[in-house]
Amino acid sequence: MSTAALWARRYGALIRAAWLVDLQYRADIALWLLWGIIEPAVALGIWWSIASAAGGDVDGFTQLDFARYFFAVTLINQLTQAWDAWSIDHWVAEGEMNYRLARPLNPVHEAIADNLAYKARTGTIVLLVWLLAAWFWPIVRLPVHPRRWLLAAVAIVLGAAIRFFNGFAIGLLAFWTTRATSLIELQMALGVFLSGQIAPLDLLPHPVAVIAHYLWFPYVIAFPVSLLTGVGDSASSVAHGFIGQIVWLVVWWGAYRLVWRRGLVRYGAVGG
Amino acid sequence: MSHAITAQDLSKHYRVKVRDPGLRGALYALVSPRYRDVTAVDRLSFQIEHGEIVAFLGPNGAGKTTTLKMLTGLLYPTAGTVTVAGCNPWTGGSAFKSRITLVLGNKQQLLWDLPPEETFRLNKAIYGIPTEVYEAQRTELVDLLGLGPLLDTPARQLSLGERMKCELAAALLHRPTILMLDEPTLGLDVTAQDAIRRFLLDYRARHNATMLLTSHYMADITALASRVLMIDRGRLLFDGSLNALVARTTPLKRIELTLAEGATPEQIARFGEIHHFEFPHATIDVPRDEATRASARILMSGAVVDVSIQDPPIEDAIRLAFAEAANTERPPAPPLVPLVPRP
Amino acid sequence: MVPSVADAAEPRLELNTWAVLRALIRLSATLELQYPANFFASMFGTLFWLTMAVLTVALFYSHTTHLGGWSFWETVALLGVFNALVGVVEGVFRPGIGSLAEQIRHGSFDLVLTRPVDAQLYLTFRELDLWRIADFVLGLSLAGYAMHKLGRPLDAAHALAFFITFASAIAVLYSVWLALMCLAFWLVAIENLPTVFDALFEAARYPASAYPKALRLVFVYLLPVAWTTTIPASALVGRLSMLGVVESVGVGCAALLVSRLVWRAALRRYTSAGG
Repeated sequence: MSTAALWARRYGALIRAAWLVDLQYRADIALWLLWGIIEPAVALGIWWSIASAAGGDVDGFTQLDFARYFFAVTLINQLTQAWDAWSIDHWVAEGEMNYRLARPLNPVHEAIADNLAYKARTGTIVLLVWLLAAWFWPIVRLPVHPRRWLLAAVAIVLGAAIRFFNGFAIGLLAFWTTRATSLIELQMALGVFLSGQIAPLDLLPHPVAVIAHYLWFPYVIAFPVSLLTGVGDSASSVAHGFIGQIVWLVVWWGAYRLVWRRGLVRYGAVGG
Repeated sequence: MSHAITAQDLSKHYRVKVRDPGLRGALYALVSPRYRDVTAVDRLSFQIEHGEIVAFLGPNGAGKTTTLKMLTGLLYPTAGTVTVAGCNPWTGGSAFKSRITLVLGNKQQLLWDLPPEETFRLNKAIYGIPTEVYEAQRTELVDLLGLGPLLDTPARQLSLGERMKCELAAALLHRPTILMLDEPTLGLDVTAQDAIRRFLLDYRARHNATMLLTSHYMADITALASRVLMIDRGRLLFDGSLNALVARTTPLKRIELTLAEGATPEQIARFGEIHHFEFPHATIDVPRDEATRASARILMSGAVVDVSIQDPPIEDAIRLAFAEAANTERPPAPPLVPLVPRP
Repeated sequence: MVPSVADAAEPRLELNTWAVLRALIRLSATLELQYPANFFASMFGTLFWLTMAVLTVALFYSHTTHLGGWSFWETVALLGVFNALVGVVEGVFRPGIGSLAEQIRHGSFDLVLTRPVDAQLYLTFRELDLWRIADFVLGLSLAGYAMHKLGRPLDAAHALAFFITFASAIAVLYSVWLALMCLAFWLVAIENLPTVFDALFEAARYPASAYPKALRLVFVYLLPVAWTTTIPASALVGRLSMLGVVESVGVGCAALLVSRLVWRAALRRYTSAGG
């Protein structure tokens, strides 16, 4: 069997298994999704009120802009979400890492397959909710623009990859500490601000927006959102966005490789 | 590769953090942590041949699981060398991992919410098992373990015994030549334990597989293992057959006598040391290798109507061996018995 | 009079609810003291989350002066109330009744039913996460600081109104948790019922009036958790009438009663269906 065929089969089997397991937990996934929808809905509600009190717009963001922005945030947050740090924590704490390490397959592939299955499911649901909303509520309709949508799709994949390796690398700290998930929760709280989940980055105080641009958070959500909604998608900012995505992907992939190798040595030295 | 497994001076030391109880202890440990070295495995050397079933014996915390994990490549030894299936476990990579399998009695790899069949399919892909090999092996395992009716029930709905059988099947689909079994019968009822044992023997017979096993159930050891490695506090106390272990620790055999009318203690005492005398029953202890001759002589003497030679239960033999080890002081203690000669 | 055999054999048990409560709380405290590092982690976490929450509010107010008629420091006071309630939820509700679904699935709920105490009470206080008291204290401190900033010293009447409405809010939240977790008796397959609460409680961070009409309909009337922070905070900053205080007591009592009825119905179903 060629290497490519082996990997195709592996991923096919891993995704199939993940899909079937998720199917057992569809009620739970629906509940997580509810959370994923209410959080941006709350932010949208507040900004909507502020814009209406201010006479229609906040620093140039109209109510319509806010509506599209937070619909896009909901979708992209769902498509880039990564829960792997919690899985790794569970594997290490419960001793389930042992048989994973005894198999000829790096567990990162299992996590990637899990993400693909999970995101296919929740992303589709959010997309359907959006389509349904757009049916009744014309202002959240996006102008048809295939080229931009294609770029947005690429940006979402890269953003998801950044968030995945970021979460996986920090999750692997479970080899050293039982508090790796607290660390990822802290990072998530910062990310809500810095990735544009609570407000478009342009509305943040200037120093915060500047700091955000030197971190990976905006490249995960704000940048794909700008591509999808077509706000601030000049050629130079698109190029800047993709370069930033690639740089941060390399950084977090490298961090994952480093932590994985050192983690294995550590695990081999002290056990689970 | 001449041996299935070779371990040479295998050692494992841990550094454990020690802290005093209470808030002060916690704070203090934060500022200046103190460590203590613990020796989990201490210079173990042994070889295991292809097709051998070897059991690790020892109390909890003796270093059995640590050794098993080092042989699987999950733990790095502090010192010493290991060769398993011709590979170094922690650098062997996929080639090594495809030759072994690890079964943990208290942790399962079956996908909890899905039927075992799904785990089989997943493992087929992970190990890259060609379809013909997979079909053949799957059919064989399903037959041997009687899995037919279980395959489409979610794992969480199976009984512990059924789950363990499926677990074994999932672990053996890639035809590993070396099986590391950590408490494979943990918590199972007697029937299920027996089924697992018979399966393992059968599997060994078919594939000449090498098995290393730890278990708390003596029946597992006696039924499966042709050889035991006895470990206590990380050191190898004994390496050899169970019979040799019994002979070593209990040099005497006990003979139960049913006395003939008028037999006296004095008459009986000529044959061995009286342990108990209560007409018409008596027991005497004789040196192990003279037991048969002694019983023949007793029978001919006419003082008894029946004799039976008792072997002390293996559990007792093992308990005695560990008690002996505990009595010997730590550092000097050489192995009680010469190890199996190295070729 | 000769004592009967039964009297002699059976020890007199004094079933004292308070003694059970005290014992459970002492047990939780002993357990928690085993892990003092958790206190610092919890404290640090609370401070961090509070800072982020205040920054979020500050962000909103950097673009407006009033949100649904509430000024910045009024909203911060509400945030303090929200955080104090989070402390109650995380410290008592989640480890206690929040574990109901899991207990039913693992069968340990049967063990609870065999005890000679009220199962609801036992379950509620079975386990406490006492370090979360940090959320409670820091939340109320934040509310107090906001009051100071507003320049409105708290008089006895307002303090009393706040105390009553806050207690009512806890009663409503408790009832929502209990009713929600009772769903586990019917839907055994759902693991994360508390997630429903978490998602809805998100909306309670801000004054109910801050939402546009359509959303207010959902957050306030359809899923009334948003009231639980707005009402006590209103009492604190002096926006609530006497009538409002009385109403909140009525709502709190009604909620407790309804949830108790749901609990009894669920229990009847559980015991008659044999698990």
